[in-house]
Amino acid sequence: MSIDITIAIIITMVGASTPLLLAALGELVVEKSGVLNLGIEGMMLTGAVVGFAVTYDTGNPWLGILAAAFAGMAVSMLFAVLTLSLSSNQVATGLALTIFGTGFSALFGQAYTGKPIALFKSVFPDSLTDDRFLRVFFDYSPLVYFSLFMVFVVWWFLQKTRAGLILRAVGENDHSAHSIGYSVAKVRYGAVAFGGAMAGIAGACFPLILTPQWVEGLTGGRGWIALALVVFAAWRPGRLLAGAYLFGLIATMELYAKAAGGAFRILPSELWASLPYLATIAVLVMISMRRTKSSSAPACLGKPFMPNN
Amino acid sequence: MQFRLEKRAEISRSMLYFTPVAAVLLTMIMGAIIFTILGFNGAVAVREIFLTPLTNSLKWQDLAVKSAPLIIIAVGLSIGFRANVWNIGAEGQYIAGGLAATGVALITHQMSGWWLLPLMGVAGILGGMAWVAVPAFLRVKLNVNEILTTLMLTYVAVQLLNFLVFGPWKSPTSFGQPQTVLFNNDQILPYIIPGTIVQAGAPIAIFIAIFAWVLMSKSIFGFQIRTVGTAPNAARYGGFSANQTIWFSLLIGGGLAGFAGMLEVAGPFNRMVPQFPTNYGFTAIIVAFLGRLHPVGVMVAGIVLAISFVGGEIAQTTIGLPNAAVGLFQALMLFLILAGDILVRYRIKRVGQKSEVSSS
Repeated sequence: MSIDITIAIIITMVGASTPLLLAALGELVVEKSGVLNLGIEGMMLTGAVVGFAVTYDTGNPWLGILAAAFAGMAVSMLFAVLTLSLSSNQVATGLALTIFGTGFSALFGQAYTGKPIALFKSVFPDSLTDDRFLRVFFDYSPLVYFSLFMVFVVWWFLQKTRAGLILRAVGENDHSAHSIGYSVAKVRYGAVAFGGAMAGIAGACFPLILTPQWVEGLTGGRGWIALALVVFAAWRPGRLLAGAYLFGLIATMELYAKAAGGAFRILPSELWASLPYLATIAVLVMISMRRTKSSSAPACLGKPFMPNN
Repeated sequence: MQFRLEKRAEISRSMLYFTPVAAVLLTMIMGAIIFTILGFNGAVAVREIFLTPLTNSLKWQDLAVKSAPLIIIAVGLSIGFRANVWNIGAEGQYIAGGLAATGVALITHQMSGWWLLPLMGVAGILGGMAWVAVPAFLRVKLNVNEILTTLMLTYVAVQLLNFLVFGPWKSPTSFGQPQTVLFNNDQILPYIIPGTIVQAGAPIAIFIAIFAWVLMSKSIFGFQIRTVGTAPNAARYGGFSANQTIWFSLLIGGGLAGFAGMLEVAGPFNRMVPQFPTNYGFTAIIVAFLGRLHPVGVMVAGIVLAISFVGGEIAQTTIGLPNAAVGLFQALMLFLILAGDILVRYRIKRVGQKSEVSSS
């Protein structure tokens, strides 16, 4: 394989990984606070359609990203009110959020089908992004650098700040956190809002850096893969980065397999398309086989908390 | 004035029945408001979606056709949800069942006889069971979360369907269309009401729901499912195997979803096409919750959701409401039913009022 193809594959891989990484980072914080939000796919679709619409209407992708973050956060509050204030079942409510986002994005996006938007321009000078080798570092959308920065931010927040410590305490032992005076509900509302904003931005990646148009259901289950990635990463931001890039690589191989032919043609394209999903199952199996107590989930994950009882 | 929630000693029966009805009514009111904001005539949209399918007797047959697969899948899912087993990939099992039945139909295409349909039915059930057996095995042996595995396999099932209808199963006489040959007359479900489109799926759905009702309320098996779901420790103490319960509830859910797939492919479709996945497997999750995970409730809820589908088609032609609007209505309904759950388990107290029971 020539160096040019390798660089092209790396660039495609990083692009494909970015929405996974952003959504999974958000979900990681949510789960660290003890909440399981299965609505990532719905929040991503909401962010995708709102991000696309605002970018199309204003011509400014930065406004699009901002709007996507707010839209993701807004729909995540539906989930938060139901599960945190009304203590509804988190699994079912997360599913409802995904069904809601799917319906909302399909309805809202209809007016934008077939309309083109401008892709995010690189922030670096052309001399760097057009260079045969250096483009592997510089030829990306700003969202890519943002996602890498957020890996650091999430790690730093969870490990090095007092607020992060409180968030982890709430996720590990909600009753103790409550009894020493922290508001479990407030912390969890904050975490869910952050997860919603990240999922919204992740959704906006699809029209803004991957395909510059609106396609119904364009996330294609990536929200669920992001959920699996959090388990894969054992709730650690650094491992999340590795996991997201691994899945991005698998998705990229699918694209190249369709285009390339040759050895790839031996296997039907449908098998390549199934690969990210089969790989997710394989990864879940591997984690379960070598799971130790130390790397397991936050203790209160998915359990509703009611202080009065 | 502030309010406080107080846990009920026992769940409220009246709220259990009242909240789903209230959820549907509130969906209609909120839907009307939302669609008015979106620039449609909200009141007309709600009337077309929720009332026209009931008032126009020509649409009743559509309700029977659409509700049958929803009821069959949701009955299976609700058994699993009761046992706290979260099979959310019924859509994939539905596809797998449809594919297995299609496989049998293609092999026996030159044959005739009454036994073809039962054979396809068994194939459908086994196909759905096979598709869910992987998540069941992984959950029981390795404690792999079934939510993710069942869902991932749904995407794989869609790819398998595409591979088959674009490849080996493509009809030689379809002029390049990705579809199988039409099934022969003995491979198509009989019409049970002459002059309508109602096929055998509708009475089968009713039979399955009633059978499940008896099974869940009168048998040891039903007791086991309910105990494992609500009191896992008591269930273990009582000697009920958690793993056995997981296997049973997943196989029942997958088998029924696969059976629904067979009834659809041998019913309205008559052949396998790429448009076969119609989200019945996901909508059935709403049906299960709206029906309070009870077979009889599921039957009513299946009809309610079928109304929204049929009404959505009506609203599309009469007032140009996009079909996606129906999904929004359905999600709203599920949100409201889940929100209503709190009234079943808690009572609302005004703070400051003297409470009769101090919280424990």
